[in-house]
Amino acid sequence: MRRRRDGLVATAFLGPYAVLFVVFVLSPVLYGFWISLHSWHVLSTSAPFVGLRNYSGAVHDDRFWQALLQTAYFVVLTVPLGNLVSLALAVGLNQRFRGDAFYKTCFYLPVVTSVSVLAVVWRWLYARDTGMINHVLGHPVDWLNDPKLVMPSLALMSIWWGAGGNMLIYLAALKAVPKEQLEAASLDGATSPQRFARVTIPSIRPALLFGLVMSVIASSQVFGQSYILTGGGPADRSLTVVMYMYQMGFGQYQLGYASAVGYLLFFFVFAFTIMQFRVMSRSLVSR
Amino acid sequence: MRGNVAKLITALFVLTALACAPPSYSGPDADGVLHLEFWNGFSGPDGASMDKIVQQFNREHPKVQVHVQVIPWGTYYDKVTLGLAFGGAPDVFVLHAQRVPEYAVHHSLAPVDGFVSRYGPDPADFMPRQWQAGIVDGARYALPLDCHPFGLWYNTKLFREAGIDHPPTTEAEFEADARRLTDPSKKQWGFVLTDLHMTGSTMFAQYGGGLMTPDLRSSSLDSPASLKAVDAMMGWVKDGRICPKPDPGGAWTEFQTGKAAMAMQGIWMFDSAEHQEGLEYAAAPVPQFGPTRAVWASSHCLCMPAKLPTERQEAAWTFIKYLSDHSLAWAKAGQVPVRKSILESADFQALRVQREFAKQLPYVVYEPFSVSVNQTAGFADTAVESAVDGVEPPDEALKKAAQRVNRVLALQ
Repeated sequence: MRRRRDGLVATAFLGPYAVLFVVFVLSPVLYGFWISLHSWHVLSTSAPFVGLRNYSGAVHDDRFWQALLQTAYFVVLTVPLGNLVSLALAVGLNQRFRGDAFYKTCFYLPVVTSVSVLAVVWRWLYARDTGMINHVLGHPVDWLNDPKLVMPSLALMSIWWGAGGNMLIYLAALKAVPKEQLEAASLDGATSPQRFARVTIPSIRPALLFGLVMSVIASSQVFGQSYILTGGGPADRSLTVVMYMYQMGFGQYQLGYASAVGYLLFFFVFAFTIMQFRVMSRSLVSR
Repeated sequence: MRGNVAKLITALFVLTALACAPPSYSGPDADGVLHLEFWNGFSGPDGASMDKIVQQFNREHPKVQVHVQVIPWGTYYDKVTLGLAFGGAPDVFVLHAQRVPEYAVHHSLAPVDGFVSRYGPDPADFMPRQWQAGIVDGARYALPLDCHPFGLWYNTKLFREAGIDHPPTTEAEFEADARRLTDPSKKQWGFVLTDLHMTGSTMFAQYGGGLMTPDLRSSSLDSPASLKAVDAMMGWVKDGRICPKPDPGGAWTEFQTGKAAMAMQGIWMFDSAEHQEGLEYAAAPVPQFGPTRAVWASSHCLCMPAKLPTERQEAAWTFIKYLSDHSLAWAKAGQVPVRKSILESADFQALRVQREFAKQLPYVVYEPFSVSVNQTAGFADTAVESAVDGVEPPDEALKKAAQRVNRVLALQ
């Protein structure tokens, strides 16, 4: 009887989320896969089944590969540096000092702000002739119009935008580092960098793994930054996979093709995430 | 319990389905008034003058009341397309001329030849080139309201100071003027590149190349003519002699603030030039660079959805014809009308900027009226940008773009 009541309570609590999950996540995901197997222009009255033709179409489009490579470039630019920044901020905030809550809020604020708002702000910051960054530098750098600079510029903005998220996770992990171990290490004569490398890092490793995996996934889906700041330009140099998918789905209304691109991105990120887990958990276990 | 959850999920699905079902069109209300929806993207000052014309129409036609919904161009086509596909489309809406074929081939637009022959306007009153806008495979699906060409804007004060008494009409004049007007010590440029798509399309048309061959079967981007067009554009930016590197976001501001003496932009910039304090300016046709006189243009075309009931179509056509008949008021906001009677009127000829743009009407070039233009135009833009930005040699960039275009065309 008690078990039955527990079951009811659990269902009552999980039910609303389960419904939302099924309606807004699971069914669109499955429906999206079904769409990806059809040649479907949004205005056409018929959507013939074409099997994997949309997938082979994307694989044979040089712009898809360009978008994929550029997305990988963005991931390389943002993930390591972004996580270093998050970790550095977390370490800084872990030192008790007056007003740390204020700084914590400041660093976290961008994370909860919409990317469209921030992108507009950064457009002003990056503006060649009127922007604040160039005003401080005293030199007109073409942040968003120079094909070589555009991705690093978007990456810089994204690091600033997202660093606060992982910072909170790392800060929580740092607070959980066993004090006894740190104390024992100092008694044994370990210097502060040694303590950090030998005690702190190993014990926050799970948090680091989580942070890295999540930021790879998030960075692979970069869209808002290039959509608002550059529209994929100049000369397609900030075209990312999601941007490409958006252009196919909404600029050209090829729903099947765009869904296939979405699934291709999913496969790449999924494979990479598994690899990441394998490599990093192995090193976790070996410690 | 499980049954209840299933019921709840089913209920949610049904509700969603109901919410998505296309609303059926209603007839006139209790007072016999038919309410029409009109969608457009005129979110600037052009929207205000459109609003005035609509209000005037509503006053003169008590039995038909038009309600305008303005959706900024950035998201406009998504809304219209989804409305046409899943219900909720308005009774009258605007499509740019180059987008009409795409919607027509999917049977989303009502054919309107019958309305033209029954109710007008008179085809003979339209400029012949502009009359072609809205025709797909010999049938008309939309009525062109206006024509908005690209044109040359120049700073009359800077021209005067440099001792130049007329805007350039040839490449040689353009070069000479731009050099004389470039003064690095004052950070002043002779010319700025604004929109690369429209500049590129103009140059391609002048040299005889472009996105597609005239039969719309293959790309002409890898032709020698297209290469010449891009070479000419690269010449402007080379060594920073007369024109800075392209800054599509900021170039027009340079012209507005007097830091650039010439810029090519569309007629729709009229309001922002007119209201710029301290800017003395005038407009002129785009100079002739290549062997042919040509300039990019498009038209706002008025359409009705295919599924519209006849009663609403009749009312909608009354409104569409009214807008066309009153396009002088529309022109004042910064547009060029396409009706000969209006173009020749003294009222229109008094508009000093619009009048200059209108001189180009006989030789403007629309984007290819192909169902694939929306899918492929970006490839040409990327090639032009790559070449002008110096990322890629122009011949390679154009060849790659041509391959991309041909790939899309082959799939048709």
